Amino acid sequence: MASPRQRVDQQPGFILHSIPYRETSLIVEALTREHGRVALIAKGARRPHSTLRGLLMAFQPLWLDWSGGGELKTLIRAEWQGGQPLLTGRALLCGYYLNELLVKLLAREDAHPALFSGYAEVLRDLSQGQATEPLLRRFELRLLRELGYGLDLEHEAATGLPIRPEAAYVYDIERGFVPVNPTEGGAAGVSGRVLQNMAREAFTDPETQQQAKLLLRRLLNHYLGGQPLQSRRVFMELQEL
Amino acid sequence: MSPTSLDELIDALRCLPGVGPKSAQRMAYHLLQRDQRGAERLSKALSHALRVLRHCARCNTFCEGEVCERCASSRRDSRLLCVVEMPVDLAMLEQTHAYQGLYYVLMGRLSPLDGIGPRELGLEKLIARASDGTVEEVILATNFTNEGEVTAHTIGELLRARGLKVSRIARGLPVGGELEHSDTGTIAQALLERRPTQEPSG
Ligand SMILES: [Zn+2]
Repeated sequence: MASPRQRVDQQPGFILHSIPYRETSLIVEALTREHGRVALIAKGARRPHSTLRGLLMAFQPLWLDWSGGGELKTLIRAEWQGGQPLLTGRALLCGYYLNELLVKLLAREDAHPALFSGYAEVLRDLSQGQATEPLLRRFELRLLRELGYGLDLEHEAATGLPIRPEAAYVYDIERGFVPVNPTEGGAAGVSGRVLQNMAREAFTDPETQQQAKLLLRRLLNHYLGGQPLQSRRVFMELQEL
Repeated sequence: MSPTSLDELIDALRCLPGVGPKSAQRMAYHLLQRDQRGAERLSKALSHALRVLRHCARCNTFCEGEVCERCASSRRDSRLLCVVEMPVDLAMLEQTHAYQGLYYVLMGRLSPLDGIGPRELGLEKLIARASDGTVEEVILATNFTNEGEVTAHTIGELLRARGLKVSRIARGLPVGGELEHSDTGTIAQALLERRPTQEPSG
């Protein structure tokens, strides 16, 4: 863990978001493999000919060097790892959504190496033009698991019996998946078959896509504690134009 | 304690981008002590500009009348509309003397995580402008940052859906650029976006 005056070298990381700081600098939020989400000051990064300026781009694998023990560290160097096409189109919009989830849900300096790999993987898949929806669902599920809000997709609440594909369930945040009469499940219900698909991270069939999306959205909203997602709002506004 | 009017001036100067308390103080002392005439001129120019300037009804950049000179000119090709983020980008494109069409200046870019969406950017004004019946091709010249790219993608989708031809300016190595001295990101992207060379004809 970070000790004061620490210096970190060649840490694999991604920029999640950056905001202007003072006259010529930036504060960047980065997701790093061994240090989790960190806030770094990139001094002079907004000067016209700063070499950092073009490098500190979201969605690109970087190597980052920084120093400092406080909450705000000083970025010393950033280097492009390369090998990944820039995100474009819909994949880029999805990238913003993922970054917003990470900024809003991950505590600072909590290392999640598995989540880091999952994030690197989803960006690579997005950049290669894979279907976006299954990738988002897989990442959302992994994110919840890493945050300790993992779902038991294989057992019924209370009884611990295996999930039955033909049954319908509702999710109770405190308890887990509770079987319901298919007619009372209503819109909030999710089928056992869908849960089994989710457990295998198989999000391709339409029913699974639709039900998993609603279920995961409800859970994420719960853990976001009412913070609205800007990227989601922007996306909805675009649909309306 | 410094007088209130001085504090007020220093505080007002801080609204400039990249100007913090120290620079604001330096500017205020400079204006008041070394260049009172300059200060007078700045103050007049600022209030005059604020009074007369507005956004051109066609290209959205600053102008004094309803429509700017460029948009009103009959020498420009009104079938081409080039979309840029800021007036400074328009100025750069004009310096090339390579483009005779018209412009639309967004005065910003989409930035989903900062809450700048299509509404904040006023994209419906651009849609209306591009759908005037004369524009045939829209050239997207937003920056090659993620924000510029998401802006270009969005506008592209919206305008293509309305039957317009949409193109994006090319990205690659700078003219006179050498691979040895170029950044890796640019070279990588130039490789990805490579295109076939022209076959000799005949
Ligand atoms: Zn105009």
